[in-house]
Amino acid sequence: MWYFKALPRGKIIEFFIVAVFCLFFFGPLLNLVLLAFSGEWRYPSKLPSSWSLDWWKYVFGNDQIVHSILLSFSIATIVTIVSIIICIPAAYAFARLQFPLRRVFLFSFLLTNAFPKMGLYVAVGVMFYKFGLMNTFVGVVLIHVINTLMYMTWIPSAAFKNVQKSQEEAARDSGASPLRVFWHITLPIAAPGIIVASIFTFLSSLDEAQGTLLVGIPDFQTMPVIMYSIIADYPANAGAVFSIILTLPTIVLLLAARKFLGSDAIAGGFQMK
Amino acid sequence: MIAKKQKLLGIAMVLPSFLSLIILVVWPVFISIKQSFQNEENQFTWDNYKYVLTDPMMVNNFKYTMLVTLISCVLVLIISYALAAYLRFSNSWFSKVISRLYFIPMFIPGIIAIYGFINMYRDNGWIARFIGSENMPSFVYDIKGLVLMNLWFNIPFTTMLLLSALSAIPGSVIESARDVGAKKLTIFFKFILPLSYNTLLVALTFAFMGIVGSFTAPYLIDKNAPQMLGVSMQQHFSVYHELGQSSSIAVILFLMCAVVGFIYIKNMMKNESHS
Repeated sequence: MWYFKALPRGKIIEFFIVAVFCLFFFGPLLNLVLLAFSGEWRYPSKLPSSWSLDWWKYVFGNDQIVHSILLSFSIATIVTIVSIIICIPAAYAFARLQFPLRRVFLFSFLLTNAFPKMGLYVAVGVMFYKFGLMNTFVGVVLIHVINTLMYMTWIPSAAFKNVQKSQEEAARDSGASPLRVFWHITLPIAAPGIIVASIFTFLSSLDEAQGTLLVGIPDFQTMPVIMYSIIADYPANAGAVFSIILTLPTIVLLLAARKFLGSDAIAGGFQMK
Repeated sequence: MIAKKQKLLGIAMVLPSFLSLIILVVWPVFISIKQSFQNEENQFTWDNYKYVLTDPMMVNNFKYTMLVTLISCVLVLIISYALAAYLRFSNSWFSKVISRLYFIPMFIPGIIAIYGFINMYRDNGWIARFIGSENMPSFVYDIKGLVLMNLWFNIPFTTMLLLSALSAIPGSVIESARDVGAKKLTIFFKFILPLSYNTLLVALTFAFMGIVGSFTAPYLIDKNAPQMLGVSMQQHFSVYHELGQSSSIAVILFLMCAVVGFIYIKNMMKNESHS
């Protein structure tokens, strides 16, 4: 608009901005993709001289790595289910019911974001030591649930709020029980919000590195935890392959849920109204 | 009668997630506060805080953490604000490209981003292949690399927050100000900045809290002394098993964030009562 058209060399500057933006944000990612599919890439060639899938075979032939993939997915699934069971009732209550201290309860979920993550994990770790939860499956799941409480409560709550009360009331008037109304009217309409929140939960569990590193070592090495040792000990090509494997679920799930996702839905998790 | 039933039902439905919050966040924080005042025999002591606040290495860690956090926050806010303003006020092809792409980094696992970053910028990384390693300034394993990494992590989210605030400013406000002859800078300082000021505070809160206690990036990029507090805390916990000392570092980090977090929560409550 006028704001930038006023600049005479506007286009050149804009092109420069886009170039720097893409190089800074996507250069490192592109580099990993090249590394993962390269056969031979000697210094100082700018691009690999041959391509191959050898590093993929190498990674999938490594038992420790394969095990971590399975572990990560099972933990993420359980975390998502647990978090849905815990949070969806609260989300509905915040959207539909009037009860004392509603606002205090609602905003208390900000506490999960009010502490620096590593500080909170160390605090939880100190507690886990006392209860023997260090290096247990339950402990790892609980650490992951911390990060999901706020999204899982706030995003579905906003979705429940968007369901028109008149639709529910019409169904009630024609004689449907409250549970039937919830199941057949409210839930389907609020489903996109719940799906978005579940995907966030699943991904945040899949990507959680620091908390798992703190309480899950040595037996619960999820993908991101393995990544710490891969960075130190493996060739960059193997690390790049593993990076793609770890990023793939994110891309697939986000593309699948694209129609539900907008910056509104994401921002909804941070700005409850 | 119905109202009373609704009240009980409401509280009952909130309880599972609220109790999880108490058990997983509030209680551990209390335990670690208590632990930070105890020695190994569980007796009261100030030693942990004395160590954390006077040990020369720890003092350096503090200074370093504040330095990295301040530089990163200032840069993140300036760049994100400029980017958000560009996306809001420009309709060009370039801004459309960026507005489609800018939020993608938010969904890349942090540790992958760091790994890609190191491979890109290290002395024999991809950049060095293009410009020659003798021209490549060595920066990835020190504070410069760490600040750049923080920019990578925080700019997309901050831009998203600021863009939603700027989009909420009606174009008519700016048009009419322009019609009466206001200069661009005047419009910016009189209208745009005040109208997005609250969101700027929220963005600062998120950036500050994300960076001050960050672990993975400083752990992988810049682990040597002086360390960021997040790394130092993890080392005291996992390597030296000093529960008291790591707890006291955590408590001090909590206090730093409490100040900033208070501003955020107050802001959110204020907005809620308006809507």
